[in-house]
Amino acid sequence: MHQQLTNLSDKELISRARKQDREAEGVLMDRYSHLLVAITLPYLDKAPKPDPNIVFPTLLQRLSASLKTQTIYKANEWILHIQKTYFNSPDKNIPFYPSRDGRDLLHIENKVEKAGTNIIDRQDLAVRLEQALGRMNADDRDLITQFYIDNKSFADLTAAKGLTREKLRNQLKAAKGKLAKLYMNQGYV
Amino acid sequence: MFSSKPNNEKILKVFSGIRCLSKDQLPRYMEGRLTDVEKHLVEQHLTDCDLCFGALQALEQEAGNEQYQDLTGKLQRYIQDSIQPVSHVHKVARYTKKEKTKESLLVYFWLVAFLVIGVASVYVLRGHLRNQPPPRMLASSQPPAADSATAPAGEVASQPIVTAEQPAPAPGHQTTTTPASVKPAATTTANTPAPAKPTPLPAPAATADSIARAKAAALKAQQKKQAADSLRKAQALQKQQDSLKKEKEKEKDNDDKKPEPAPAPKQEPKEPAPPKKENPQPGEPINSDEYLYRAAMVYQQQGNLSEAIDRYKRIASNSSGKYAEMATYQLAICYRSKGQMARARRMFREVIRMDGSLKNNAQQALDSM
Repeated sequence: MHQQLTNLSDKELISRARKQDREAEGVLMDRYSHLLVAITLPYLDKAPKPDPNIVFPTLLQRLSASLKTQTIYKANEWILHIQKTYFNSPDKNIPFYPSRDGRDLLHIENKVEKAGTNIIDRQDLAVRLEQALGRMNADDRDLITQFYIDNKSFADLTAAKGLTREKLRNQLKAAKGKLAKLYMNQGYV
Repeated sequence: MFSSKPNNEKILKVFSGIRCLSKDQLPRYMEGRLTDVEKHLVEQHLTDCDLCFGALQALEQEAGNEQYQDLTGKLQRYIQDSIQPVSHVHKVARYTKKEKTKESLLVYFWLVAFLVIGVASVYVLRGHLRNQPPPRMLASSQPPAADSATAPAGEVASQPIVTAEQPAPAPGHQTTTTPASVKPAATTTANTPAPAKPTPLPAPAATADSIARAKAAALKAQQKKQAADSLRKAQALQKQQDSLKKEKEKEKDNDDKKPEPAPAPKQEPKEPAPPKKENPQPGEPINSDEYLYRAAMVYQQQGNLSEAIDRYKRIASNSSGKYAEMATYQLAICYRSKGQMARARRMFREVIRMDGSLKNNAQQALDSM
């Protein structure tokens, strides 16, 4: 049973966890536990030095509670949000809601996923994306082409452009956001 | 279009969803122990995912890999410990709940089943009790019928034949046929004359019983039985016709004799009649009205409406008072059941105009039409 659950997608696990399937909830938490630990490590060394025996169970409880009530599009964003709110404003319980840009990205990702192996849909999507890409400025277009289409790694790009990895990532992320926006607004052009 | 197909397909990669880094992917990426393809996928994901990038940065900065490994192991164990027993308990609880609901459903089922059986048995018993009297009544009324077959059955048998073969007999004939027609009517309406006919011995108990029943039984329920009884009677009588043709001839010959036996049965039904009809001991014409009326009733119950209407008309035109009113009322009912609503309405209005005991009934019938 446990083995079968580990093969399921986040979406499926979340929907099962909502139906009081504690095992699915456990598998979902287990899947992200190492990342949760990793992003929490810096906070554990900071001034109040919270006890990990309290921090993690509390975090898990919060996650479990919000799992049943919130709409979760992406598990990683949701976990990060819960963790950030826990450390930045422990008293508040701010619900997670994806931003407008995030929703654009999500929409296109869903479209690509839905197109699957349907050649017509994929062609249509690709053509529209190319059109959107054509309307981007040259720097962003180059960056996206080099990274996604020419398969260049972070190391190659940072070496070529003289940027730090963080900056490069931020630029890539921003370019991707712009592409998504252009794609979404194509109907209105 | 096709020339740019490879590019086309590749551009979809920008928006392909990639899973977060797994527990062993993270250190391998940090140590550069990934294949090119895997590394590229990880980097694509890192561009989107703040959680993974944050984790990567934290691990690179901290370099406290031991603490990370330790805490991760502990957290995973904690999750498994807290989830699995609960899930097991949950499963057991769910199973017991299922069993309980099953049991309670079974209990409800049997309760409902017993209730239904109880109600059904009561219903059947009531039906049985309700249907019991007729056989008894038949039993009590059939021996007299058998008895009467010997002496007055000839008269009884003569009645339908006279009316059937000779629809408009002479007035003298009418008087002779009417006493005969009393018998089916009397036996069917309330069984009052039936026990009176054969012998006076069982009369007191039987008459009291029959009077009580006549009062208690509703008209509709009785009418059905009466119709059935009278039909049976008529059939029985018709069977007897063949054997009693000789007697018929005798009757036709001896018209003078008939009035003599007629008064005897006439007076007998009169004795139980007064409580019912409150007739003062009437003379000959009123009696004939009554017989005519009853004969018409028999025709009506047998479904021979035109014959019944004929009789009722005769009563309504010839006589006056109670029987005229009742005949008019029955005439209206006959017309109504024949579907001649205008005539029925006129008759009901006439009954109302007569201002007798049936005025209210007629008014109600008129309103409901």
